[in-house]
Amino acid sequence: MGSHAHYREAHPLVFVITHYINLICMIMLAFSGFYIHFPFFSAGFMGVARGMHFVAMYVILITLVFRIIAAFFVKTATQLGSREVDTDIKNWLPQAENKHQLFETVKYYLFFRKEGVISGKYGSLQKIAYLATIPLTFIQAYTGFAIYAPFMNAGIFASGIDMVGGPMNMRIIHYFGMWVFILFTMVHAYLANIYNFAPSKIIFLWKETLPEGKH
Amino acid sequence: MAHEGHNALHDLLTVRGVTRRDFLKYCGSIAAALGMSETMAPQIAAALEGAPKLMPTLWLNGGSCTGCTESIAQVDSPDVATIVLDYLSTNYFETIMAAAGEQAEKQIEETIAEGGYIVIYEGSVMTGQDGNTLLVAGKKGTEILSEAARGAAAVIAVGSCAVDGGWVYGYPNPAEATGVQAWLNHEGITTPVVNLPTCPVNPEWIVAMVVQLLLVADRDVAAFVEKTEWVTRSYTDRKYGAVDLLMPKGIFGQSIHDNCPRRGHFENGEFVTEFGSKEEAMGYCLYKVGCKGPQTFTNCPVVRWNRRTSWCVEAGSPCIGCGGLNWVDNNSPFFHRLADMQMGDALGNVQPGSVGAVVGGVAAAALVAHGLGMKAAGRVGDGPPMEEMKKYDRKRLAKKGGDK
Ligand code: HEM
Ligand code: SF4
Ligand code: SF4
Repeated sequence: MGSHAHYREAHPLVFVITHYINLICMIMLAFSGFYIHFPFFSAGFMGVARGMHFVAMYVILITLVFRIIAAFFVKTATQLGSREVDTDIKNWLPQAENKHQLFETVKYYLFFRKEGVISGKYGSLQKIAYLATIPLTFIQAYTGFAIYAPFMNAGIFASGIDMVGGPMNMRIIHYFGMWVFILFTMVHAYLANIYNFAPSKIIFLWKETLPEGKH
Repeated sequence: MAHEGHNALHDLLTVRGVTRRDFLKYCGSIAAALGMSETMAPQIAAALEGAPKLMPTLWLNGGSCTGCTESIAQVDSPDVATIVLDYLSTNYFETIMAAAGEQAEKQIEETIAEGGYIVIYEGSVMTGQDGNTLLVAGKKGTEILSEAARGAAAVIAVGSCAVDGGWVYGYPNPAEATGVQAWLNHEGITTPVVNLPTCPVNPEWIVAMVVQLLLVADRDVAAFVEKTEWVTRSYTDRKYGAVDLLMPKGIFGQSIHDNCPRRGHFENGEFVTEFGSKEEAMGYCLYKVGCKGPQTFTNCPVVRWNRRTSWCVEAGSPCIGCGGLNWVDNNSPFFHRLADMQMGDALGNVQPGSVGAVVGGVAAAALVAHGLGMKAAGRVGDGPPMEEMKKYDRKRLAKKGGDK
């Protein structure tokens, strides 16, 4: 779990780039979102904040669709410490190694067991969290478009607004959606780097960490 | 308001000192309310003047503060809206009719018996205590509405209370107030209901509907419903379930924010943060002091209020969203950006921002605590010792071994 090697096969360059795009878009969306929610400084920024939000929201959606399609073509490592590769989608979805391990993983993180649990490319909880970001992004996009004037009167958005009891509630849901992403990012960054910073080195700098002893 | 001798409209206008020019200007603003070009003003004027007599009308009050009546009846000088509405042949109008007592109540019966009338309903429908929360002349308000609506060509629900219960419907709603459409659905009455929210109703909107009925539909209610562009807004009444509301699109199809003269300040990030400040004096955008314009769909900024004099934001107040559905619960506190979330008696009303900050803070604290735990458990650095085999497999093997 902590000391294994980190090879480029785990995160090929294309996914290092999509990860950067996601990160930058998320920062832009959350920052501009906070500003739209409550403009905490003046200085002519609302137009910029909204522009930022609208650009980032399209970019993040296009990147997400691209990322999903790419999963069927790009090969990635089947295990984090390994150079053995297979089609990414197989490593992204739960693998055989993840089976029966969810409860054990929870126990591990709650200190109810000492040994680390066997996992696939990612742990069971981790996979659930990563996969959940897909529907969450689409829900955030849906609630976002529903409060966006050019779309809010369109059938599928209008009926959603009615369903949640009006545009104010839709705004509040979109606002809480942001907090879900903030929580995800906090936990994600924490767990990725809790043992050491090798995971950050590979995903941001694309720098490998070799197994102990080799240099 | 009952009619003595049906004068042609222009006679009425002349008597009240309204010039032809004022009248045409007025018709232009009605055109705007209907989403027509202002060049339609002469046709609108002709339609109003040409009509020999409008439809007989019953103006019924439910659980109301009479604010909507006030809104149309504030005649300290001649106003076209009042005259045009006067021109509806109003047979019953509790607050301002001359008749009283049994004689007045009889007007309702007679109008219903004759048929071919419309009902204008002001105020909420009070259904609490089996309808006994509102009695008029010893009769339940709910019964009066049902009887009148059943035979009517159409019902115009004026003001938010008539639309969905308005502020009377606000939690906890002890009178069990509801809207006209919800009540008629419950009673199985299918008379079309035109909904004109805001608290109170803007008289221009009633006039716009009257003009639409005359000009576009030639007093044929079926054609009126068919030819007017509507938006349907749906909501769920706590007592009567799902309700679809018909609202004229020309009036309720666009957000206030999209037509607001302060929108430039919004985009520039020029906001009023405090009342009484320099920014307020400069007419900056009221978003930060709770303006609900972005979530409210009326054309207040276009048609404006009090004889096209001004409207809330122009007068310096944030829009409080009175044209929305369940508008008090959905928009209060009025001076906050977002509505409070009603979290029951234990937690009270909480701002979404506070919820977010608390959840974020708790999560951050939990992660720090967890990190310390990971360190104490010696996992940081190289990680924990790994299991050789999944626990599930170990158990299964052990079981197999035991079976042997
Ligand atoms: C992915 C597609 C997204 C779309 C289409 C979208 C769209 C929008 C729109 C249209 C607004 C209102 C802007 C305005 O009225 O001026 C908005 C506000 C906001 N957005 Fe997004 N957004 C998206 C993603 C996100 C994400 C990922 C976050 C957070 C990380 C976020 C956070 C916010 C916040 C906090 C607000 C302010 C809400 C309020 O309090 O009024 N959005 N968004
Ligand atoms: S005052 Fe209200 S409606 Fe006008 S631009 Fe500001 S937020 Fe929008
Ligand atoms: S501007 Fe807002 S608060 Fe004022 S009348 Fe219109 S909807 Fe109501």
